[in-house]
Amino acid sequence: MAVGGKRLADYGLRSERLLWPDKGPGVFEQEVDNLEQRVGLTTLAKAVAWSQTKSMWPDTFGLACCAIEMMSIVSSRYDIARFGMEAFRASPRQADLLIVSGRVVHKMAAPLRQIYDQMLEPKWVIAMGACASSGGMFNNYTTLQGVDKIVPVDIHVPGCPPRPEGLMEGILRLHEKVLAGVPPAYEIRGVAE
Amino acid sequence: MAIAPEKRKSPIYEGSRIPQPIPSVLQVPEALRRSDDILEVNFGPNHPSTHGVLRLIVELDGEKVVGLRAVVGYLHTGFEKSMESKTWWKAIPFAPRMDYLAFQANELAFVLAIEKLLGIEVPPKATWMRMLLTELNRIHSHLVWLGTSALELGAISPFWYTFRERDRVLDLFEMVAGTRMHTRYFQVGGLAEDIPRGFFDECRKFCEIMPGAVDEYEQLLTYNEIWLKRTKGVGLLSADDALALGQSGPVLRGSGVDWDLRRAQPYLAYDQVDFDVPVYYNGDVWDRYKVHMDEMRESTRIVSQALEGMPGGAWIADDRKVVLPPREELHTSMETLIHHFKLVTEGFRVPEGEVYLAIESPRGEFGCYLCSDGGPKPWRVRFRTPSFIALQATATLVRDGLVADMIAAVGSLDTVMGECDR
Amino acid sequence: MSYAGTPGLVEEKVAYDETTLVVDPARLVEACEHLRDEEGFCFLSDLSSVDYAGWGEEPVAGYWGGAGGRDLNQPGTWGLARKPAPKRKRFAVNLHLLCVRSGAREARRVRVQVWVDDGEQIPSVVSVWPTADWLEREVWDMMGIRFSGHPDLTRILMDDDWEGFPLRKDYPIGGEPVRFSGEE
Repeated sequence: MAVGGKRLADYGLRSERLLWPDKGPGVFEQEVDNLEQRVGLTTLAKAVAWSQTKSMWPDTFGLACCAIEMMSIVSSRYDIARFGMEAFRASPRQADLLIVSGRVVHKMAAPLRQIYDQMLEPKWVIAMGACASSGGMFNNYTTLQGVDKIVPVDIHVPGCPPRPEGLMEGILRLHEKVLAGVPPAYEIRGVAE
Repeated sequence: MAIAPEKRKSPIYEGSRIPQPIPSVLQVPEALRRSDDILEVNFGPNHPSTHGVLRLIVELDGEKVVGLRAVVGYLHTGFEKSMESKTWWKAIPFAPRMDYLAFQANELAFVLAIEKLLGIEVPPKATWMRMLLTELNRIHSHLVWLGTSALELGAISPFWYTFRERDRVLDLFEMVAGTRMHTRYFQVGGLAEDIPRGFFDECRKFCEIMPGAVDEYEQLLTYNEIWLKRTKGVGLLSADDALALGQSGPVLRGSGVDWDLRRAQPYLAYDQVDFDVPVYYNGDVWDRYKVHMDEMRESTRIVSQALEGMPGGAWIADDRKVVLPPREELHTSMETLIHHFKLVTEGFRVPEGEVYLAIESPRGEFGCYLCSDGGPKPWRVRFRTPSFIALQATATLVRDGLVADMIAAVGSLDTVMGECDR
Repeated sequence: MSYAGTPGLVEEKVAYDETTLVVDPARLVEACEHLRDEEGFCFLSDLSSVDYAGWGEEPVAGYWGGAGGRDLNQPGTWGLARKPAPKRKRFAVNLHLLCVRSGAREARRVRVQVWVDDGEQIPSVVSVWPTADWLEREVWDMMGIRFSGHPDLTRILMDDDWEGFPLRKDYPIGGEPVRFSGEE
């Protein structure tokens, strides 16, 4: 898969699609293509990106069922401490990553945005689960149809709830994005319509 | 309002008093408000120590809690309204997502209520398997409760111990239903699929290690000096207040009332297995913790007995108007094809009527009130969730307590906000 | 067993092994006190409401078979489109009561039902069972039925400034339209 002359693997992204090599670039690759100047970091930026990924502390934003699976990545079987992320900070001022795990309803939307605003840059958001990504099975008057309506999201993890391995895959892809130099979502895009 | 004793003809229960109105909001007394510095703190919806998205508006006089108000609704997903727009089958996956720790208990209540309205006979193998899975779910719920409650009080280690067993329980669910949580394995009429080979052996292995694991948790916590200081005498709730406030489950049993729906109104096959109901009489956080621990042991006993006594036979009822026909028949029989088509597209119809069915979920009495108009979709589904009722008791529990006691008391109520807010 | 002595009793029906007592709303508190003190229902399990607006407008095919189960050998009972019997008023508020006795092997339940129309008020039973506090707030929030005598009847599940009563039948389900699905 070549984007702007360089293969994604050369940017450091290991998760390119291997099964469909002839398919044209998807949204992710197009985004990377648009940021060609930003991708390909200086040595200092590479070092900073490496250290950001090696201890990206999540914020405790467990809302519903996905929160239980998020807690299980801290448990000994799935062990996110190997990636330096077992320190779930309660204060958003000390957190880098907001894993929105669970359905966000209108009443909770304001606290969510407030927590997001309180986080210091650089900050990343993972929308974990179907409800955070797109409203899930709850297409009704009270559930926000996707948390990307109020906060810019870097990674969407599908599942209801996603397996802990699925969430880890999402987190690792986020690490790869950061290592490749893709800026956090608030610099690229705003919120969805 | 108090009623004079001579008007009462029959005693409510031993040592009762007709309850005075018990407020669900703790108000700061006026004299204190005028004389002292009262600090109003918001234990907001996003907080490491409240179970889920609960907001507590607390007024503090130093470290003492003098005013408390619980605000809920931060997870109100509109379950009841959503289920009214889906057919009966399609409404079943909504139920487990309410109480996401005891997911199969929610499914069980909903499915049992539909079966009560339909008047359908469930084969014994399905009944026993449902009981087995519901008890495993009870163990799962108590494990997560223990891990997170201990974590809130600062006892960080038990979290890893309990989640180790929790992963084993989820392995069993995955073996049976294909997914770890929200299994949707209970179908109207029985189970969705037959029980796979190898499940019973794995379950037996789990039952062998579980009592040892509960012993480990007890070694860490039960007589630990810090745990005793944090939980003994904290969050007191008398039996009268518990009944007046509608508490059920471990909260009620920790306050001395021997009430368990599995004993009082046996559903599934609970009258055919032997188990004890733990009751403790002090009404504090330590007693509720002990009730949870003993319940884990009793649930393991029930699971072992269910494994021994599991009957063979069909896993779902034979009523083709309600239950999908076996797939092999679709190739040969026209009626089967038509029934399959009608069941999948329009759904079966449930006779007109209303029914209220309550089961003993790990949190207490979980009730499902169904109203059907005879059509393929529910007219009204209402879930009576124990966490909603339990949170009304926060003001009573943390009277004269410190902030740290408030955390312990609210944790011991074992609330799950998904089921509280629905 | 019969609860004929309940004050304000309008009708007593038994279906699916459950007893429902329809009670006059004006005498609800009296009836509840009678049931709590004389009959021993010290525990309020649930207080919920149902909106019957639009009930019986769509004829539904009758469920073939009787209370004993389905009877495929009885032709002519299937698919008879008939309308369900109309209800008295628009809203029904159900109180599910339970008799809790420590160590009991029996759970006696009863349902108390009151019928109201839009705009009518029901006396609050908070003085009888304190559990009713939040349950009545939820009924107010979701259905818009007022309870007179309630200490703090405000919204509990929805936002404080939400307009409308979501569980009513004339309130739309909301959400976004999904392509190719039957629902809009």
